[in-house]
Amino acid sequence: MSQPPRVQALLIAGAIGLAAVPVIGDRFWLQLIGKAMITCIFAISLDLLVGYTGLVSLAHAAFFGLSAYALAGLTNRLELVSPLCTLPLSLLAAALAALGVGWLSLRAAGVYFIMVTLAFTQMFYYLFSEAPWFGGSDGLYVSRKPLLSLFGKPLFDLSNRTTAYLFILAALVLVYLLLARLLRAPFGRVLAGIRGNEQRTRALGFATGRYKLVAFVIAGTIAGLAGYLDATLYGFVNPAEFGWRQSGLLLMTVLLGGRGTLYGPMLGAFLLTFLEHFGARATDHWNAIVGAVVIAVVLFLPRGVAGLVERGARG
Amino acid sequence: MAEPILELRGLSRRFGALRAVDSVSLAFEEGRVHAVIGPNGAGKSTLLNLMSGQLRADGGSVRFRGQEVTRASPDRLSRLGIGRSFQTATVLAELTCEESLRLAAQSCLGSSMRFFRSADHYPGVNARADRALHACRLPARRTARAKSLSYGEQRQLEIGMMLATEPQLLLLDEPLAGLGHDEALAVVDLLAAVARDHTLVLVEHDMDAVFSVADAVTVLVDGRVLETGAPEQIRKSAAVREAYLGEEEP
Repeated sequence: MSQPPRVQALLIAGAIGLAAVPVIGDRFWLQLIGKAMITCIFAISLDLLVGYTGLVSLAHAAFFGLSAYALAGLTNRLELVSPLCTLPLSLLAAALAALGVGWLSLRAAGVYFIMVTLAFTQMFYYLFSEAPWFGGSDGLYVSRKPLLSLFGKPLFDLSNRTTAYLFILAALVLVYLLLARLLRAPFGRVLAGIRGNEQRTRALGFATGRYKLVAFVIAGTIAGLAGYLDATLYGFVNPAEFGWRQSGLLLMTVLLGGRGTLYGPMLGAFLLTFLEHFGARATDHWNAIVGAVVIAVVLFLPRGVAGLVERGARG
Repeated sequence: MAEPILELRGLSRRFGALRAVDSVSLAFEEGRVHAVIGPNGAGKSTLLNLMSGQLRADGGSVRFRGQEVTRASPDRLSRLGIGRSFQTATVLAELTCEESLRLAAQSCLGSSMRFFRSADHYPGVNARADRALHACRLPARRTARAKSLSYGEQRQLEIGMMLATEPQLLLLDEPLAGLGHDEALAVVDLLAAVARDHTLVLVEHDMDAVFSVADAVTVLVDGRVLETGAPEQIRKSAAVREAYLGEEEP
């Protein structure tokens, strides 16, 4: 998928701006913008399903949470601290879960698919919030942040805030480029066909079920990457990350930003992260503000914030 | 006689107590246009859906070039060389004509589980899509989105998408339904051109069009084959006139 020139300029300017944050920003901004970028990764992975394949999944938080818990488990129990071990293993956990959940839930279509993915999310939530092994409802600390050392010398230390921030930024750029590429490739075309009319696409010779499953696994794995980064940034995981509320919020982020654009959900992620942070400072009822913004966007900007950018580009 | 390209033997499908398609045996010969006509509710669309894998048969068999394909999925049938159009033109609204045809032409790649190279950089696919664009007579609308086309053009695009999969046999479900007079003429002309190097099976309601393009006509009534023959024979048949033509031409 190639973006309009104005959007490309916006993206490049955004990436440069984000890379400059560690130079000028303090600890607070590194943390907040780091969080927003993680939400970006999480949101564009869901956009692959919601915006490009036409699959509204509420299971996405499960893969985020699972991978975060995988990092906590590997670090705390097996004392694995190298990201070269923990990252692939955490992503593998998310991918396998996505394969299982997707294989079962893609048998249902439309609203039933949404219900089945919701049920899976709840299942994971109760599994992790009630099992003492996983820290119960209190969650778990990640005892040591991922650290890559060579001959005893720390080479790459994610407990360093700037390193962690740049790692998240690099992950975001990489995920974005990967998705943009994949969407322009033959695989992405088939997804566009499925979104447009699955029956038609099937009659053209594509085993659509298989393409949907692969998209689901790719999206789930990227959600896992977001979860891994989140656990790294905060050093803490808790079962609320699995909740369907989290899945719902993410869906809202995608719709608010403008589904099927990749950059829209990123704008949505920044908007909601900032709204949540500063709204929560100003009032306990910040959720009401978020609600009002979402209603306003849905009513007046059916294509999300991205629609506003594109309207400007045409005008 | 040569082996038929598609052969139905005792094909049946019920919906509850209704025998929508009741033990239908038909042979479709290669290189011909074979129309299936019949009054509303005769089971024409059900028959087509059984042939294209959209529906599962309760009994009987479908053979494509002698190969048993009764339980094959729609995507497998397409890969074997059976194209299918739907009763209401189904196009991919947000895609341009070129993108739609390139998607259809991707079927020549074998698998589209290709994640890196841009879909526009496959010369074989592009050439195939280009041939289909000309075959369906839409080169002027190359970059138009499907949703901005007229209904007749959407029909043409749908036929073009089928052609881009390079099928041997095309199954068309009421290709003229919903078209205005001029649009219908254009599509009939297009179908006549396509028929020069493809086998066509079409289910149709529009009798005049059927008699002008078909080499063979089957009349379906209440899920059963009433008669099969050349258009002239069907036109003259007393049984057909009574069962079907009588309703429209008193």
